[in-house]
Amino acid sequence: MTIELILKNLDAIEIQKYQQNRYPCFFVDFIEEVIVGKSAKGFKNFTFNEWYFPAHFADEPNVPGFIQIETLTQVFLMTFLTFPENKGKKTGFVSVNNAKFKKKIIPGNRLDIEATLDSYNRGLAKGRVSGFLNGELACQIELIVAVPDIMTQFTPKI
Amino acid sequence: MSNLDKYTKVFTEVFEISKEQTSNLKYQSIPTWDSIGHMGLIAGLESEFKITLEPDDIVDLSSFEKGKEILQKYKIEI
Repeated sequence: MTIELILKNLDAIEIQKYQQNRYPCFFVDFIEEVIVGKSAKGFKNFTFNEWYFPAHFADEPNVPGFIQIETLTQVFLMTFLTFPENKGKKTGFVSVNNAKFKKKIIPGNRLDIEATLDSYNRGLAKGRVSGFLNGELACQIELIVAVPDIMTQFTPKI
Repeated sequence: MSNLDKYTKVFTEVFEISKEQTSNLKYQSIPTWDSIGHMGLIAGLESEFKITLEPDDIVDLSSFEKGKEILQKYKIEI
């Protein structure tokens, strides 16, 4: 029998115990559920006060694509940074594939995010994440993220 | 397909190189065999030969030739 470890209702303070992203590069408000090693659900509220809206764009504020990717990713990180040995470790992108941006995200929107971890081995996490606005798909990515501290334990020493 | 063919195929596919480039191939001797590429190589070998490599063997697998020795421990003759 496999026992699933489930975490519920993590606020921004709790989330930051698991990942090192900080303002102005911290893009998750709340994690509703993490099934450790499997999935995570959370959301981000985009307010008019976000630092990038004045620049993107002054007359038509909307969330830049790279921030959508980072937002999706930060929920994905929770699927494997919740392994006890990974808690609080830094991560890095290996690849982002099949990114799709279907809806414009504007001030006042709440993006609901669902992340799935397809595999995690030796510091390398593969998975997919989708973001929804009012239940409709807004953006999605497939990605591979590395935990360098773990991965370097398995690389040849030269 | 022989074990050598399968073994070589993992290297050529993971590192996007030709069969000829596998001779004298060593960790970090080509841009694609970096720390990330190493994880891809290990995953490829484990999948191809249906084995699970021990951590020490993963660290020791630092060249094309060394990998052949290591796979012998798993009863795979290359």
